Amino acid sequence: MEIHTQKEANATVVAITGRLDAVTAPEYEKAVNELIAGGEIAFVIDFGSLDYISSAGLRGLLVTAKQLKGKGGQVRCANVKGTVKEVFDISGFGTIFQMDDTVAAALANIS
Amino acid sequence: MPGKNSIVIKLVLVITLCSSLIFAVTLGYNYYRSRILLVKELEGNAHNLALSLVNRVETELSSVTKVTEGVARSLETGRYSESELLSLIRITVEQNPKIYGSGVAFEPYAFRAASRLYAPYYYREKGKITFSRLEDSYKFVPYLYWDWYQIPRELGALEWSEPYFDEGAGNTAMSTCSVPFYGESRGARRLKGIVTADISLNSLTELVSSVKILKTGYAALISRNGMVLAHPLKAAVMNESFFSIAEARNDLSLRELGKKMVKGESGFILYRSLVGVRSWMYYAPIRSTGWTLAVVFPEAELLENVTRLSLTMALMGLAGILLLTLAVISIARSITKPLRSLAAATHLMSSGNFDLELPLVCSNDEVGLLTRDFQVMKESLKEYIKNLTETTAAKERIQSELNVATDIQASLLPRIFPAFPNRPEFDIFASMDPAKEVGGDFYDFFFIDDNNLCFLIADVAGKGVPAALYMMVAKTLLKSEGQRLGDPGQILSCVNTILAADNDSCMFATVFCAILDTRNGEVRFANAGHNPPLTLNSDGIRYLTLKPGFVVGPAEDMNYETERLTLQPGDTLFLYTDGVTEATNVADELYGEPRLLAALQCGPKEDVTALIHHVRAEVTRHADGAPQSDDVTMVALKYRGVAA
Repeated sequence: MEIHTQKEANATVVAITGRLDAVTAPEYEKAVNELIAGGEIAFVIDFGSLDYISSAGLRGLLVTAKQLKGKGGQVRCANVKGTVKEVFDISGFGTIFQMDDTVAAALANIS
Repeated sequence: MPGKNSIVIKLVLVITLCSSLIFAVTLGYNYYRSRILLVKELEGNAHNLALSLVNRVETELSSVTKVTEGVARSLETGRYSESELLSLIRITVEQNPKIYGSGVAFEPYAFRAASRLYAPYYYREKGKITFSRLEDSYKFVPYLYWDWYQIPRELGALEWSEPYFDEGAGNTAMSTCSVPFYGESRGARRLKGIVTADISLNSLTELVSSVKILKTGYAALISRNGMVLAHPLKAAVMNESFFSIAEARNDLSLRELGKKMVKGESGFILYRSLVGVRSWMYYAPIRSTGWTLAVVFPEAELLENVTRLSLTMALMGLAGILLLTLAVISIARSITKPLRSLAAATHLMSSGNFDLELPLVCSNDEVGLLTRDFQVMKESLKEYIKNLTETTAAKERIQSELNVATDIQASLLPRIFPAFPNRPEFDIFASMDPAKEVGGDFYDFFFIDDNNLCFLIADVAGKGVPAALYMMVAKTLLKSEGQRLGDPGQILSCVNTILAADNDSCMFATVFCAILDTRNGEVRFANAGHNPPLTLNSDGIRYLTLKPGFVVGPAEDMNYETERLTLQPGDTLFLYTDGVTEATNVADELYGEPRLLAALQCGPKEDVTALIHHVRAEVTRHADGAPQSDDVTMVALKYRGVAA
């Protein structure tokens, strides 16, 4: 897994490549926690290059969302497609998280 | 113990060997050079000695030669009566102590016509001058045929004879100087006779033998033919020649030496002398007689001083090397003492004794550095081993606890099959294989009343101990709420609310919960984010279409809709977790849904137990030794209908 973060005007885009599973989820959590600790409260997670997400990965997303909720921030998911989208759909995460087709759309929807 | 490889022994060996070698080479070279110098000096000395001896012999011989020639000239110029002749000879012998005997031997009828042979001879015998007539003395061979007569007669010149024993006349070993004299006869110069003067070899031998060289060195005299005339080997004198000795000893070099001497050469050589000692010899010819004079220096005596000096030096060197060795041993031992005590300590340390105190070293040299480093290493190792022991103990404790946890978890899931032997309306079978000691997957089934069987499958996020802890709570809640509420949607909603109340860690579980009415095959079900189950019936295998429902745990106030389906007798419902489809092999290929569908298609559809075992075997076969990454859980329920 690789994590690439980019600061945009109103949010930070976190692009995740590869697999987000029990092995790599702690790494993701650590990276995002550092950003949150640095004062970021608006995030767009770019799933465009993510091949696989497991339940541990989903839990990581939940942790992010929960932390931001406490700070009045928000997180949006962009580019969720393929098998990752299937997992989102089956688990019901698709209905809980705010989903956008593109990063640009997600950034535009950040309030 | 280091034994024969110890530094001390190595040092001693190297230093002793090197110094011994250097000393030996020096001593050897010194001996060699001394010997060369000595021999060179000897050659000069021997040359001088030999020449002085030759001169002394020559002097003696030439005095005799002159007297003899004088007599011959007198006889040629004057006329001598018999008595005058005898008087002349007698006076010659008397006045020349070097002459042993003298005579005049006439040609036949040359002295007087009356007698054929005439040869008066005077010689010394026991201190008196004795007269003899040679024509009478030689009983068997007339004097005419003796060498001393014949050779000068034929040569017409002065001649020294080979030494011989004058049997009959002089009766001693002698050499004779013969000078022919002539007279006028009818106008022609004719040989009248031979004047002889003998020298006793004894006097010459005494002269030569009186020369003392070193201790056993000597001078020797050899005749023209190689005959030994004077030599410390008395038996050889007048009996042996150089060549007969060479022959007897089969010594070619001696023979060659003899040849050179006979030719009148001189030289300086190292050879094995007639008495059998390696010696240096200088030889030079005595011209007048053609003899050879030799001075012989035994090599051992010659080199005695050099040898003794070398021996003394060798002894001193040996003592020096011994002293050096002792010094090296002492120094090496003192240098390596701390090293040896360190080595002894580290030897004990190597067998695991880390409590041992290393020897105290205050020096700042390499040994001190080594000791301090060892001290540090010892402490680190001790600490490390202590940590390792503690860690291992902790790990063992955790492992044993995990083993107990595995048993507890396994015992919590229904695992006695057939589970309801007295309910022919359906068959149910389930299995759960955790990826680690404990897992987050679980299943459950129980009757909520006489006719309704609640069955469910769930997957807690993650795996291992955290997932197992959450699973315990979720499973307990699901069973208690299931028995209380009797509706899948409500069950999930209630459980979710309870779980979400205190969930800071955002743990969650996906749950598929269903209730079968055993009387008519109606199944009510609700899904909380779990992957859809499969139905197996006469039409084939297909996924159940589910309404999306969020996982239980993270968020409160979630609603789960209860859906319905009806199983016909013979239909099977197959529930599983993603551990089945996401099992990977070494090439990281997922087992996947197509393979699962194929396995179910081919599997024994009539027997749910066999069906699940079949799928499990297929998944294991696919993994092909790759480690199991997630818990693998399956539940299969077959509705058989109510017996008519």
